[in-house]
Amino acid sequence: MWTRRIPMLLLLGCALLVGGPAFAGQSTFIFGAQGEPVDLDPAIITDGISSRITRQIYEGLVKYKGATTEVGPALAEKWEVNKEGTVWTFHLRKGVKFHDGTPFDAAAVVWNFDRWKNTKHPQHENIKKAGKSFDYYGNQFNGFDDKSIITKVEAVNPQTVRITLKAPQGPFLSNLGMFVFDLASPKAVEKHGLAFTKNPVGTGPYKFVEWKVGQEVILEANKDYWDKAHAPKLQRVVIRNIKDSSQRLAALKAGEIHGMEGLNPDDVKVVKNDPKLQIILRPTNTTGYLAFNYKVKEFQDGRVRQAIAHAINKKGIVDALFGGTGMVATQFQPPSLWGYNKELKDYEYNPERAKQLLRDAGFSGGLKEITWDDGKKEPLPFWYMPVSRPYYPNPKEIAEAMAADLAKVGIQVKLQTTDWAVYLDKRKNGQLPLYMLGWTGDNGDPDNFVCYFFCKPGDSPEGFYANPKLSDVLLTAQQMTDQKKRAELYRKAEQMIHDDVARIFIANNQPPLAFQKNVKGYVANPTGSEHFNTVYFE
Amino acid sequence: MTVGQYAIKRFLTIVPVLVGVSLIVFGFIHLIPGDPAVTMLGERATPERVAEIRTQLGLDRPLYVQYLIYVGKIVRGDLGASILRGDPVLHDLAKRFPATVELALSAITVAVLIGVPMGIVAAVWRNSLFDALSRLIALTGVSMPIFWLGLMLAWVFGVVLGLLPTGFRLNTSVTIVPVTNLFLVDSLLAGDGEAFAAAARHLVLPAVALSTIPMAVIARMTRASLLEILSQDYIRTAESKGLPQRAVILRHAMRNALLPVMTVTGLQIGRLLAGAILTETIFSWPGIGLWIFEAIQARDYPIVQGATLFIATIFVLVNLLTDLLYAVVDPRIRYD
Repeated sequence: MWTRRIPMLLLLGCALLVGGPAFAGQSTFIFGAQGEPVDLDPAIITDGISSRITRQIYEGLVKYKGATTEVGPALAEKWEVNKEGTVWTFHLRKGVKFHDGTPFDAAAVVWNFDRWKNTKHPQHENIKKAGKSFDYYGNQFNGFDDKSIITKVEAVNPQTVRITLKAPQGPFLSNLGMFVFDLASPKAVEKHGLAFTKNPVGTGPYKFVEWKVGQEVILEANKDYWDKAHAPKLQRVVIRNIKDSSQRLAALKAGEIHGMEGLNPDDVKVVKNDPKLQIILRPTNTTGYLAFNYKVKEFQDGRVRQAIAHAINKKGIVDALFGGTGMVATQFQPPSLWGYNKELKDYEYNPERAKQLLRDAGFSGGLKEITWDDGKKEPLPFWYMPVSRPYYPNPKEIAEAMAADLAKVGIQVKLQTTDWAVYLDKRKNGQLPLYMLGWTGDNGDPDNFVCYFFCKPGDSPEGFYANPKLSDVLLTAQQMTDQKKRAELYRKAEQMIHDDVARIFIANNQPPLAFQKNVKGYVANPTGSEHFNTVYFE
Repeated sequence: MTVGQYAIKRFLTIVPVLVGVSLIVFGFIHLIPGDPAVTMLGERATPERVAEIRTQLGLDRPLYVQYLIYVGKIVRGDLGASILRGDPVLHDLAKRFPATVELALSAITVAVLIGVPMGIVAAVWRNSLFDALSRLIALTGVSMPIFWLGLMLAWVFGVVLGLLPTGFRLNTSVTIVPVTNLFLVDSLLAGDGEAFAAAARHLVLPAVALSTIPMAVIARMTRASLLEILSQDYIRTAESKGLPQRAVILRHAMRNALLPVMTVTGLQIGRLLAGAILTETIFSWPGIGLWIFEAIQARDYPIVQGATLFIATIFVLVNLLTDLLYAVVDPRIRYD
């Protein structure tokens, strides 16, 4: 009886299969993101998944040029700064409109700054009440209201904005290039209130169409985009949420998406071997390091720190464990930053030299135990984080490799990890004697790398490392606006960190992006600020 | 006791179960090591922001006060709001649940359509090659890791053969006007054959991957239950009356054998509706499983708590419903 129905079921099954792969037309660019955006209001987001989308919809006064972190004009055509570095005047582009048709002018810029800075602004207050915050404004401009380094933002005339600072801020322009300081349509923010985060309106090359929860965000070309030379080449952009990295790669290989981020280190080879696909490496903006706690007596001896620097085979680790996308780090800043010190000579991998240094320091029998400055002793732990980070894609394996290197020169460590929150907590309280961590830059300014960690001598999160001379150099650089002079100071700072073996920098990682071979015009930027309007199909 | 009274009694026993669940769910946040606020903020956590999140989660209050506030809100239908996005948990749940329902029902349909016939054939031709084969398939179905099977299905049918999509509910070029948010239903309501085919094509792989465990369980239960019935006297009587074997099995034996099968199927539906975290994640299926996975990764506690509570409730309700259905199917059952 039921057997007679089987052929029919088979037929139905075949009918379903014949539909062919789900190709969209070649005027649509589909990008596989690692997850769901949080919000689409640039001022309150901090994550890369959201900002990838907002960067297509919005623009700021300035932007990072091409594949660099150098700052160039965007909605401001040009600018000047006074001699003291405290008054910045921006000349805005004429004839630019927000996607809702309202004009982009000085009043709109003033309104946006007011919303970010002024905690009593209705569109600031409601965000705070909803449990969200303007994190980056506070971080980059020293807080809100009167605390902020920005004292005044005025419209000199509809095309000119003047920003006055309490004190000069070296990274000011780099800060303004960050996605958080992209400008929103005041009218749209006021109209939607909290719901603006789901109804974004900017001036960018793509307009928002729809956010299908859990699935995708759809954008379409802004036909009135002011920059005709860079008008969007593709009609539609779809950013799909594909959480699982293996599925993302499967979707790319099946031709369902055209590009993706978040490739597993092991899958880089798979993409390289596929003639239909290509890899684009994002210029590095991350550094993974090994840090010491200076309350540990053994680490107060520079020879011990130097011995560890000589003992670790960085190149071996990078070659084996970074999927071919890592680079050996010689200093804190990655090479893409303008404060990078090219002259700096790294401690070479030399186990014999390491052993000699340990002997000189009085550890001829090796180092197995540490002594805290209150006299407490414990077997030497080596802490690694329990989660993959951009700077350490597989922390456990990297930790094991470093531990093996250290064992070769007589340093016996006990590998240890814990829950990520506990890890960060312990580090903050200065409880980790020897630990792995790293940093991903926000704005391409050296200050954001070096000063963030070394400007507060003796601070517990930095293992109580106290080098006032170093922080003086960094704080001086922070207050200057002349990039050439600043670069000199950052190079000097890197040399000081190196000479003192304050920390050991292991690797810079270049996050790999994978695309169909016919995708052209994608420019990967160290900050992750990548614009889809230049993308096209060949 | 009538069925109605029994239903009320059973319904009341749900209450202590749900109170227990609410306690466990509430306890989550306090059992996980480390400050939840720090976990959420990562490397960039500033003391001010940590304090804000703690206030927002109510972590600065005594434990019992936190629990009472929590329960008070649940009773009023307020499951809280996502820390990350600020959306009410209940609102998100409503948006995502239909995708899970569609997947779960498809999977259970596949499981029943394959599992029951497989079990019958295995029982009728007991100890035959087919029986051994079907037991092997059932064992494999229960023990195979879904993430592996899912990836293989996506790889073989999506990448290598290019026959079916590797994931998602729909391709970007197709739009379905949402009514029930069950895409198969909505596309039929709109009379859009192309959209229906697209939605069905996207369902195939995740539904097959998800169906393996329930299929195996159903096949095993059908076989065992049918074997037991087939050894009973009334079956021998039916056979000796000269009824054809098909009629004996389908009309006489199956009606009784299906009862325990129904129980396990009900339990499996409850389990599938609870969201298939692995299947939904591997196939980017925007249901509650993927939602919970993302929330766990982002440590968005209100979502994890709200969703867990919802899942437990669904599970308990489906169990209750299965129990009550007994009475309808089998008039011999009395409740006391």
